[in-house]
Amino acid sequence: MELTVIAQKRLGAFSLDADFTIQGDKIGVFGPSGGGKSTMVSLIAGLNKPDRGSILLDGEPLFDSRKGLNVPPEHRRIGMVFQRPHLFPHLSTKGNLLYGYKRCTPENRKIKFDSLVEILQISHLLDRGVRYLSGGEKQRVAIGRTVLSNPRLLLMDEPLSALDDSLKFQIIPFLKNACDIFKIPYLFISHSLLEMRVMTSRVLMVADGRVTGQAEPEDLARDRMKDATGYTNLLRLGEPRRVNDVYAYRWGDRELFIADNGAPSATFFELSSRDVILFKRHPEAISARNLFKTTVISTFDMGVRMGVELRCGSEKLVAEVTKKAANQMEIKEGTEVYAAIKALSFKRLG
Amino acid sequence: MLGFTPADYSAILLSLRVAVVATLLSLPFGFAVAYLMTYRRFRGRIALDVLINLPLTLPPVVIGYLLLLLLGQNGWIGKWMLQPLGIRLIFTWKAAVIATAVVGFPLMVRSIRTGMETIDERLIQASRTLGAGWLDTIITVIVPLSVRGLIAGSILMFARGLGEFGATIIVAGNIPGVTQTIPLAIYEYVSSPRGDAMALSLCVVSIAISTAVLLFHEWLSRRTVRVD
Amino acid sequence: MKNIIVKFLLCVFCFALLVATAVAGDINVSAAASLREAVTELSDSFSKNSPGVKFQNNFGGSGALAKQIESGAPADLFFSANLEWMDYLKGKKLLDERNISAFAFNTLVFVGKPDLKVKTIQDVTMLDKIAIGSPKSVPAGQYAMEAFNKAGIDKKLENKLVMARDVRGCLMYADRGEVDGAFVYKTDAEQMAKNVKILFTVPQELYPRVTYPVGLTAEGSKKPEAVAFYKFLQSDESKKVLVRYGFIVR
Repeated sequence: MELTVIAQKRLGAFSLDADFTIQGDKIGVFGPSGGGKSTMVSLIAGLNKPDRGSILLDGEPLFDSRKGLNVPPEHRRIGMVFQRPHLFPHLSTKGNLLYGYKRCTPENRKIKFDSLVEILQISHLLDRGVRYLSGGEKQRVAIGRTVLSNPRLLLMDEPLSALDDSLKFQIIPFLKNACDIFKIPYLFISHSLLEMRVMTSRVLMVADGRVTGQAEPEDLARDRMKDATGYTNLLRLGEPRRVNDVYAYRWGDRELFIADNGAPSATFFELSSRDVILFKRHPEAISARNLFKTTVISTFDMGVRMGVELRCGSEKLVAEVTKKAANQMEIKEGTEVYAAIKALSFKRLG
Repeated sequence: MLGFTPADYSAILLSLRVAVVATLLSLPFGFAVAYLMTYRRFRGRIALDVLINLPLTLPPVVIGYLLLLLLGQNGWIGKWMLQPLGIRLIFTWKAAVIATAVVGFPLMVRSIRTGMETIDERLIQASRTLGAGWLDTIITVIVPLSVRGLIAGSILMFARGLGEFGATIIVAGNIPGVTQTIPLAIYEYVSSPRGDAMALSLCVVSIAISTAVLLFHEWLSRRTVRVD
Repeated sequence: MKNIIVKFLLCVFCFALLVATAVAGDINVSAAASLREAVTELSDSFSKNSPGVKFQNNFGGSGALAKQIESGAPADLFFSANLEWMDYLKGKKLLDERNISAFAFNTLVFVGKPDLKVKTIQDVTMLDKIAIGSPKSVPAGQYAMEAFNKAGIDKKLENKLVMARDVRGCLMYADRGEVDGAFVYKTDAEQMAKNVKILFTVPQELYPRVTYPVGLTAEGSKKPEAVAFYKFLQSDESKKVLVRYGFIVR
């Protein structure tokens, strides 16, 4: 998917001035609240009209002020998912889901109703009135409704912000699956770097009504090493099995021992890079439950600190050390070091 | 029953008929105006708002007189449009319908607007991005969610229409069997020294109809979809 | 803030009191609408010759006036356009029975646009809309309905009759062209008609003679100036005025 937006819009005291082209299928729009992200997205969807400019999606012009062209939203085939579900209260769940589908031309109807309903696990809700759905169920139905309209681009405006953490990480797999399986590119707006890292591969940064740049979510995360937050490793782990008083989670071709109460299926865990301790030689006996032999892939300079990217079997991990320590241990590309992590250092997400 | 003359029965039927027709006729226009005022920005919006609400503050006889000027034989519309087409409106039941519709119109528009303004804006954005054009959105989203306002507006207008007197007597006249509605019939009886009993009987009928309408409104309100 | 509210309310209160109130020494007259100009002139000339006497004249359909008097509206003299409403008040003991007399007479005519092809009362059934005074309270309308009944056309005229609140209202409808014609008194047509003229006179055998009785009310008989006015109405001077307006006085 390729999106070009050159647009200016004035809304009261706020003015938006965007000029960018971005490619990819999982794009994030990242920035502080009030920075213009939602405005920009509404221009792309056609819900608002720029004062001047042009918008092109995969080469097709959607808006061009010089030619007086403005394709109305119903013809753009750009779907939107909002922060809240906004389901039609006068239609049943099934009625909501099929709303966009019915308005799709037969040749565009590529997504099958039954398979989507199964992926989102909402088949038991079909005949219910939308009043009787829980928050999470409603949001899944909302996603389903938009996906079933077979959009060629999905715009998601903070779709997870209103959900609590556990619900958030329940919805994320549904979202990713639906878009992966049906090959729908999306623009994901959020002010949460964590959501960016989980959902997107490339990020557009927007602040004060301007696009300040493009980056990879990983780079943005690494920048955090410079300040108090530090870098957080985001780990996607597999099935746990109980081992004495801890759980062993599948991590690529390895296992991580984590002290929690066992999660049913694939889950995200956070691990601060500061909780990864490096040893030049294999320490004989330590209290940490996790100890790996790793190879340094790269290092990156973060002022006083240094980030060390380690290869750990099939997976990667980032540790943070002081520059002094790095020099003392002669850590550089290709060096072999041992990494130790306590079972208690992991924080489960959701 | 109650010693009504045929003229009295026809007054009751006429009142109902005029009120119903006026309400049905005003519904589409009322909806269109409410839609424009709620969802579109355009020049002269305030002027339209004032114009629509004018009948609420004007004495009905003023409205009747203005309609007479407009639609009469020498009226602005009357002379140039109606007479050439052979359409005669003054002193016909059509004029009674028009008078009732004009007087009740602002009530209908207000009710519908109130209902429309409670509709979540995002629902309309959602329906547009799901492929529905503006007309499709109106029919499948806005109308169903405005039903409460439409009903309230219709009932208000119907009730007001049953009681319409000032504009009606001027532009439709007091013609038994043709334009003499209940209020006009009561007025005639009230002017007559021996008419008190009949006037009272018609008042009772009027109260009975109004009560039935209000009860119906209550029942209907409980049954319509609640907007989340 | 409270100060301003108090002052405002006082102003409103005073304004409400400014309504002109009737002063004793006034003569209250209720008269049939068709007598408007004649009674006004008579009362004007009477008050010119009797300083300090002011008239409050109220014109309308005779039945409606009778009801007003019955309900307590102030009236010292009552001019009716038929005997029925005078008898009605007599029955309610609201009139001074010794002081009732026939004041004037009139005839019923039909007016319409000059080019209208209507010459007899039968022709009237071909028209679309005809104005008459409401028979429930307006003598002109009552006379007209009687004529319709006697002429056998009352059924044919159903749904064509526009009810007016008094005979002048009828004339106005006809004058403005809102109806095809109206049944009014000869005097109304001659005095007030602008765009319409008398197309035919209703044959006298079809309706009782239009008689205007005038009487002092019970309260009027207690007022010397009202009694004096009543006597004045019997004078030749007064009859001359009536004749000038087209009324018959014998």
